[in-house]
Amino acid sequence: MKLLKVENVSMIFGGLTAVKEFNLELNQGEIVALIGPNGAGKTTAFNVITGVYTPTIGHVSYKEKNITGQRPDQITKQGIARTFQNIRLFKDLSVLDNVLIANHLHLKSNFLEATFKLPRYRREEKQILEKSLNLLEKVGLKDAQGEKASSLPYGKQRRLEIARALATNPTILLLDEPAAGMNPKETDDLTEFIRQIRDDFKLSIFMIEHHMQVVMGISDRIIVFDYGVTIAEGNPYEIQNNQKVIEAYLGVAEDYA
Amino acid sequence: MMNFNAVFMYLTGMDLGTFLQHLTNGISLGSLYALVAIGYTMVYGTLRLINFAHGDVFMMTTYFAFYGVSTFMMPWYVSFILAIILTGALGMLLEKWAYRPLRDAPKISIMISAIGASFLLENLAVVLFGGRPKAFPSVKILTDSIQLGSVSIQKLTFVIPIVTVIFLVGLLYLINHTKTGMAMRAVAKDYETAGIMGVNVNLTISQTFAIGSMLAAVGAIMWGLKFPQIAPLMGVMPGLKAFIAAVIGGIGNIKGAVIGGFILGIGEIMIVGFLPSLSGYRDAFAFIFLIVILLFKPTGITGEKIAEKV
Amino acid sequence: MKQKKTLLTLIAILILFVFVFIADQTLDSYKMRILNLCAIYVILGLSMNLINGFTGLFSLGHAGFMAVGAYTTAILTMPDIVKTQNFFMTPMMKPLDTLHVPFFLALLAGGILAGVVGYLIGAPALRLRGDYLAIATLGFAEIIRVVFTNTQSITNGALGLKGIPVSTNIWWTFGLALVTVLIIGSLINSSYGRAFKAIREDEIAAESMGINLFKHKVIAFTIGAFFAGIGGGLLGSLLGTIDPLMFRFFLTFNVLLIIILGGMGSITGTIISAIIITIGGEALRFLDESMTIGSLVIPGISGMRMVVFSALLMIVVIFFNHGIMGTKEFTWDGLFAKFAKKPLAKGGNKQ
Repeated sequence: MKLLKVENVSMIFGGLTAVKEFNLELNQGEIVALIGPNGAGKTTAFNVITGVYTPTIGHVSYKEKNITGQRPDQITKQGIARTFQNIRLFKDLSVLDNVLIANHLHLKSNFLEATFKLPRYRREEKQILEKSLNLLEKVGLKDAQGEKASSLPYGKQRRLEIARALATNPTILLLDEPAAGMNPKETDDLTEFIRQIRDDFKLSIFMIEHHMQVVMGISDRIIVFDYGVTIAEGNPYEIQNNQKVIEAYLGVAEDYA
Repeated sequence: MMNFNAVFMYLTGMDLGTFLQHLTNGISLGSLYALVAIGYTMVYGTLRLINFAHGDVFMMTTYFAFYGVSTFMMPWYVSFILAIILTGALGMLLEKWAYRPLRDAPKISIMISAIGASFLLENLAVVLFGGRPKAFPSVKILTDSIQLGSVSIQKLTFVIPIVTVIFLVGLLYLINHTKTGMAMRAVAKDYETAGIMGVNVNLTISQTFAIGSMLAAVGAIMWGLKFPQIAPLMGVMPGLKAFIAAVIGGIGNIKGAVIGGFILGIGEIMIVGFLPSLSGYRDAFAFIFLIVILLFKPTGITGEKIAEKV
Repeated sequence: MKQKKTLLTLIAILILFVFVFIADQTLDSYKMRILNLCAIYVILGLSMNLINGFTGLFSLGHAGFMAVGAYTTAILTMPDIVKTQNFFMTPMMKPLDTLHVPFFLALLAGGILAGVVGYLIGAPALRLRGDYLAIATLGFAEIIRVVFTNTQSITNGALGLKGIPVSTNIWWTFGLALVTVLIIGSLINSSYGRAFKAIREDEIAAESMGINLFKHKVIAFTIGAFFAGIGGGLLGSLLGTIDPLMFRFFLTFNVLLIIILGGMGSITGTIISAIIITIGGEALRFLDESMTIGSLVIPGISGMRMVVFSALLMIVVIFFNHGIMGTKEFTWDGLFAKFAKKPLAKGGNKQ
């Protein structure tokens, strides 16, 4: 079954076409990367999938259900979680709180049950806490649980953002430049980490990334964007040997790799 | 003419003369809102700040003018001009003390500072000028009435829109055709970038406040002539309504603020004129109007949509 | 450890009530009134902090919710004869003229009605952001005030209501302030409270974590309005007189001052600051009254107190924008750590 299907999506702002006729099919367990020069409309494509924007033309469906035009929270609730290009943690809250918050969407108790700590809420809260601590342990942040999110080093903030996304119980994870600003060692760790969470959480991953090392290392398929237009699609080997890609993009890839 | 009047009366329940009187009143009230609204819109355009104290700056003008005439025995025109200049200075001080230190602080802080400044000015006025209302100096050649057929209309009703138009033309010239105006437009677009490009941001913002305050001062003096009772809280309602006018017109847009001022002024007078039983709700109309606009066209009638960057 | 802390909390509450009992026995009516006001402002401050401090919505509609609460409580508790005396211009609408309920139910009704009004206002207004929300809520509060000025047969219009039974006493005010602290505290520390804080921190991130922004904003806003209504009801019944002018923007400003000084997003800060502002406001009353030093009479300047208050607000915002507590809270752990003179163990699960 196609988990996620983006059909013929275009996003036009004023007169500017940020994304043009974008198509994507994501299968269970796949890692697909979206690459392209800065300003190529990659994040816009993300925002269309996650409901931040409603596409001007085309639709997005998830598990064969049309989700075009739904709000971001509705889309997350169905199983598509994301991270942001410029990390958007809840900076003043603790590491643990950041993860706990991401569990809120599945809470069944209403606010009165929560305020008066009725049994169902107490049970749920206990489960949420256990689950969150487990998750923090898995991503290696358990020791930092009491710290303010903003006090973590950069690499750990990225990890926390991924952990937070995982806490929403997604089946699809969208990562917006997860390796941005990382050194080679951190990049290696991240590549391994992404692969590991894909297996542990049975995820399909769609990511935007500039680091060719990461992209080529873990992607099953790669889509190349240039000015909002898909100029190539294929496995890493095909992309590396695609003349159009080399012209439009890989010619400057040394800057990124 | 008689016939037309009869038809008009049949249709509207109001005699044509009365209608015209309401209309002229609405236009002059609208002009006053417009003059005050420009200050809100210019400041919002530059700092993205609702200058809550703007209505109180407006109030201070009337006291400056009052003391000029009554205590310092100045001729009215000297006192009025001085009052306008002093108000400009007050606007600049307000920006320097209450807003500049918070320019990079969270937006909520600067708004709270604005609310604080507003209350400070109101209470200072109570302390300095007394809480009891005072009579604004009357200027015979402006406040006299003239007879037009069966109705007598105060000259002021015509003076106000004319003065407004003159200042408006001046302002638009300043903004579109002078170096200062260009700096203002640049700062309004993006003050950080403007600063990098060599615009003196502090000076330009200061000038924006001075101009906005002086226009409000012109409005305040005409307001004082039209409603000659001045009090420390007199600026609150006109201030809020002018702000609403600015929102209606699309905040940040000067022409919009003027259009909004007229819509609000004429609308307010007409609703009270046509439905006298609702006159008690007069002050609520503006707010209802505001809320309707915010809900259906939050960027005002001239505004365009601003997307937030994710 | 957990039981020990619960025990400490219970002891603290007991001490509070011993204090209330002693105050009730010994203090004069002026001092009692100030204490009552302190507790009422704690309720009002917390209700506004829930909306503005914890959820990060800039709402300026508090005076409107308080008016709804105050009028409802007053109308439901005033005896028939007082109602007839008040409504000499236009008779009071039936069945309100003969309707009354016990004080607590009247307060509750005031709170619920304020909550309903909050919900009705919030449903459209909370779609707006930042300063647009501020101005819209301010507008709604003004509309409520204008409506109350004009609904002669329900609110007695501009004349206001006089002779409201003074049912508020220190047990009510302190008791309800305590209940408010416990309820809002419990809400804030629940999953919903975390969602509110997430919205305050970053709306876009919160939404992408599956939090329905609108629903949670409406919940916070409605609960805040409910407690503002309770506070308003207590206030009206403490003062014995209310009129629409009392509920001008100025009242909202007072509450805003409390949460800014105390720290937006701190319950402890709000409590401390409500007490400071209320007592300080009384202490500064000398500024408005004439003073006699020996044979020298210094005339008081009316309004001076408010000049000091407004200047204080600006100074706090400009120089100490986190207020007294920022977003920190008093906790027993924090207190133990202070006594133990060592930093709070990081990452320690509260057990």
